[in-house]
Amino acid sequence: MAAPSSERTFQEYLEHHLQNLVYGKLPEGYERKLADGSTTVLENDTWTIAKGKAEVAEMGFWAFHIDTLFFSLLLGGAFLFVFARAARSFSLTKPSKLQLFVELLIDFINDTVKSTFKTAKNSLIAPMALTIFSWVLLMNLMDLVPVDLIPYPAELLGVPYLKVVPTTDLNLTASLALSVFILYLFFSIRSKGFIGFIKSITLHPFGPWMLPANLFVEVIDMLAKPLSLALRLYGNLYAGEMIFLLIAGMVAWQLTFSGIMIGIFGTILSLVWAIFHILIVVLQAFIFMMLTVVYMNMAHEKFEQH
Amino acid sequence: MNLNATLIGQMIAFGLFVWFCWKFVWPPLLAAMEERANKIEQGLKDSEESAKKIILAEEQSEKLIKDAKSEAKKIIDTAKSQSEKVIEESKAKASEEKDRIINSAQTEIDKEVVNARKTLEKEFASSVMSAVKKIISKDVSENEHKEVVQKSLDDFRK
Repeated sequence: MAAPSSERTFQEYLEHHLQNLVYGKLPEGYERKLADGSTTVLENDTWTIAKGKAEVAEMGFWAFHIDTLFFSLLLGGAFLFVFARAARSFSLTKPSKLQLFVELLIDFINDTVKSTFKTAKNSLIAPMALTIFSWVLLMNLMDLVPVDLIPYPAELLGVPYLKVVPTTDLNLTASLALSVFILYLFFSIRSKGFIGFIKSITLHPFGPWMLPANLFVEVIDMLAKPLSLALRLYGNLYAGEMIFLLIAGMVAWQLTFSGIMIGIFGTILSLVWAIFHILIVVLQAFIFMMLTVVYMNMAHEKFEQH
Repeated sequence: MNLNATLIGQMIAFGLFVWFCWKFVWPPLLAAMEERANKIEQGLKDSEESAKKIILAEEQSEKLIKDAKSEAKKIIDTAKSQSEKVIEESKAKASEEKDRIINSAQTEIDKEVVNARKTLEKEFASSVMSAVKKIISKDVSENEHKEVVQKSLDDFRK
């Protein structure tokens, strides 16, 4: 493996940091380019870690982003561990600081859900909102970890690529949005009945004589929900990460006067952006949760003839 | 940017997280928080009630003390009047007894005086008679001198 980022061009540095650690299958007969420029031809189908964009493209759909999975599971596990511990050691008379924090969050989520989700009773909505908010927030907060703090040592240890912010991976945001969408469809059909659900997407908003137009509008409207959920979170976090990378890539830290000045300038820029980004990180987690609750509320509405 | 099987893995992970939170995190925490809220409410209600009870008890004790005081006063008053009555009665009885004793003593004395007088009379008469007999040692008819004796007796009586 070549020495990390120091010898890369700015372009290479960016591309490298925007590449996930992909584990997938390379087909028999695939020519792998090695670091020294030579090539080897694979004799069998091989499950391996992709080195470079071309290999990622070759792996196709059945590949996994190890870094996204690892960090998201780690953070989700941490969230559940902390909350489950707080639940187990809950004290009515002597609350610990951790318990107070957990209570604060639970209260906040509970109030938000209660004020938005009014059409029906569903015990799943509030815990799901808590999970989404906490999990997405934790994953977003990884964005505030300096961009090279984890990938650089990992590269020295032989991990070729590493993206530490799971929410900058469309796979993750799309998976959340799709799960929410599936629940949306499920609760819609459950509360309206299958016939009611069909009616709600065909007889709206123009009445039965405009059925195709209704169907078109409603389907677009429905599909826009998961799409906007997934892309909003992904776009915000990806852009934020990109700006951190641009700032980091600009700074070379050479021991000349101009090099040091650029370094100091870059550090200040990075700090300013990080402080601003705290707002975005929390806001995006909240928006994702809020919209989920709103969609769930819509799913529980009974079909009304207009 | 490229969607791949990570999506499926993440959906499974999300489902598990939500399920875990739904079953093991949310309900116990919410239940505990509600329990505490109820406890606080109950505590406040209890303290309010006990404050009311204390006021009531104070009123009651005041009333009891007042009742007891008036009762005691009444008892003392009755006792006073009773004792006065008893003293009055015993005084009356005593003076009655005194009168009775004095009266009986007086009659006794009177009787004694009469008796003494009678005896004295008798003794005196006989002693006079004997003295007279001695003095006049001659035969004197009793009848002759009876008048004289009787006269001296009358004088004596006076």
